[in-house]
Amino acid sequence: MKQVIKIIAVLTSIGIISGGVLASVSNWANPFIEKNKKEATEKAIFLVQPEAKYYERFDFSDMEVYKVYDYDKELVGYVVVNQGNGFQGPIRVIFGLSKDLQRITAIDVLEQVETPGLGTLITEDDFKNQFKNLLIVPMIEWVKGKPPSKDNEIKAITGATISSKATVQIINDGINKLKKRLNDE
Amino acid sequence: MELIILFISAALINNFVLAYFLGICPFIGVSGKITSALSMGIAVTFVMTVTSIVSWLINYKILIPYNLTFLTIPSFILVIASLVQFVEMVIKKVSQPLYRALGIFLPLITTNCAILGLALFGAMREYSFIQNIIFALGAGSGFTLAIVLMAGIREELELANVPDAFRGAPITLIVAGILALAFMGFAGMI
Amino acid sequence: MKKEVNYSNEFLKGLWDINPVFKQVLGMCPVLAVTVSAINGLAMGLATTFVLVFSSLIVSLIRKIVPNQVRIATFIVIISTFVTIVDLVMKAKFPELSKALGPFIPLIVVNCLILGRMEAFASKNSVIRSLLDSTGNGIGFMLALIVLGSIRELLGNRTIFGFQVLPELYTPMLVMILPAGAFLTLGLLMGLSNWYVKKKEQEEIELIFSGYRSATTLNTQTELN
Repeated sequence: MKQVIKIIAVLTSIGIISGGVLASVSNWANPFIEKNKKEATEKAIFLVQPEAKYYERFDFSDMEVYKVYDYDKELVGYVVVNQGNGFQGPIRVIFGLSKDLQRITAIDVLEQVETPGLGTLITEDDFKNQFKNLLIVPMIEWVKGKPPSKDNEIKAITGATISSKATVQIINDGINKLKKRLNDE
Repeated sequence: MELIILFISAALINNFVLAYFLGICPFIGVSGKITSALSMGIAVTFVMTVTSIVSWLINYKILIPYNLTFLTIPSFILVIASLVQFVEMVIKKVSQPLYRALGIFLPLITTNCAILGLALFGAMREYSFIQNIIFALGAGSGFTLAIVLMAGIREELELANVPDAFRGAPITLIVAGILALAFMGFAGMI
Repeated sequence: MKKEVNYSNEFLKGLWDINPVFKQVLGMCPVLAVTVSAINGLAMGLATTFVLVFSSLIVSLIRKIVPNQVRIATFIVIISTFVTIVDLVMKAKFPELSKALGPFIPLIVVNCLILGRMEAFASKNSVIRSLLDSTGNGIGFMLALIVLGSIRELLGNRTIFGFQVLPELYTPMLVMILPAGAFLTLGLLMGLSNWYVKKKEQEEIELIFSGYRSATTLNTQTELN
């Protein structure tokens, strides 16, 4: 009986001490974690919408969308975060759209688990810069092995066609969802 | 459709052992014979499935509503430890043959990082209840496949002339490396 | 004097004699998973050492209070507390590194190395000895991670700690930073370390043997005389 009480006492006190320590550490850390998250989002938004100065979360059910504004609080466009399946796993892309939904301002790849050295080339500037000022009407197309001839085409990376194609599809899908939503309003 | 992709991705493309290196200890320790490897695989799949259910409930019914996410790691590991004990007792009561087949592997599972990894991945990726179970089944089948394949190769290796210094863990790791290369062929299926 | 020698031994044995990675083959998941680069190896090594040292300290402090039946449960709670602290601090202060190491920081909880040291050493020895033992093991673990990370980063990306070492002429071997490369590198390294140890043992045996042989020949010669 004495043994049982001792066991319970030891386990309870260890549990309480550990819980207390963790609660205070987490109280200290949480503001920093929130700040890091916010900074990361902000950095990504201003990267794909260079003209933007302010942003506001756009209420959207299954996607992260932001409305962005310039100095005079005029709407300059949208920023969309969308994800889909790549070659080996999910790819998360953030991209900016002009106000009239005609062109992409820029894109960035937030998360990917593609093959190092091949699929990961989608995170390099050579690939991402192709999207700058790209026409998105009727939709983005991709070509293989030859330079793009139209304003709405990009060149897929040799050896990483699936990753390139997936990125294009994720962006097209995001644009369509946003268009549909804006039309409904 | 999405669930099938999730299953295949967890089982083959992002195989727990060969792509995430989770559950390496039993992978090296218990892969000597095909039969024991299969039992280990089944025991792990079983515990993974139960863990996925319980950890999801804890995460979404207790930790998140009461803002206790900083207790995720301690609570998951304690739940897994007690769950393994509980499963062991139930199996012992319900089916003696099953207990004899799986019994000795169950205690080893507590320190198997694949189980905790599964619970943490599930929480991190914000899977739904059903998705979480499918993810567990996929990860478990992937683990079973990898460990059984490994055991098959190691049974053959017994007869091979491996240099003395490479016997045991080193050659097992090298074979695992070649297996991991082979599994890369599954990428692109989704 | 003799005690001091013992203390330094407690520390040094973890570096090579019972090196967690090469000799005990413990804690393999983080070893393989995070060693894509030297800096990741260093970070993971530091995090593990931190958890190991502080858990050892607490476990050896309370080793006389904790009833035997619940010692494992107590160890797990203590270890997971320190792991959560590391995880939170990294997320708050080093978000980049925390993202690179991903779920492998929480997984330190199930690193068999830590539970192993608690059970085999800290729960039976004095505070000072436990601290020396855990620091030694932690640093041994970290060194192994850095070596593995450097090799993979060098061959897979031409760099070590982000500094270019190999010339552009060298084509990086992608396989080294893929999962397969982790298995292959660790397997080969372990084989080599075994081979080295065996060779040394052999040399020692031969030394003793040759000494014995010359002694016996001497004996036979004297007998003949």
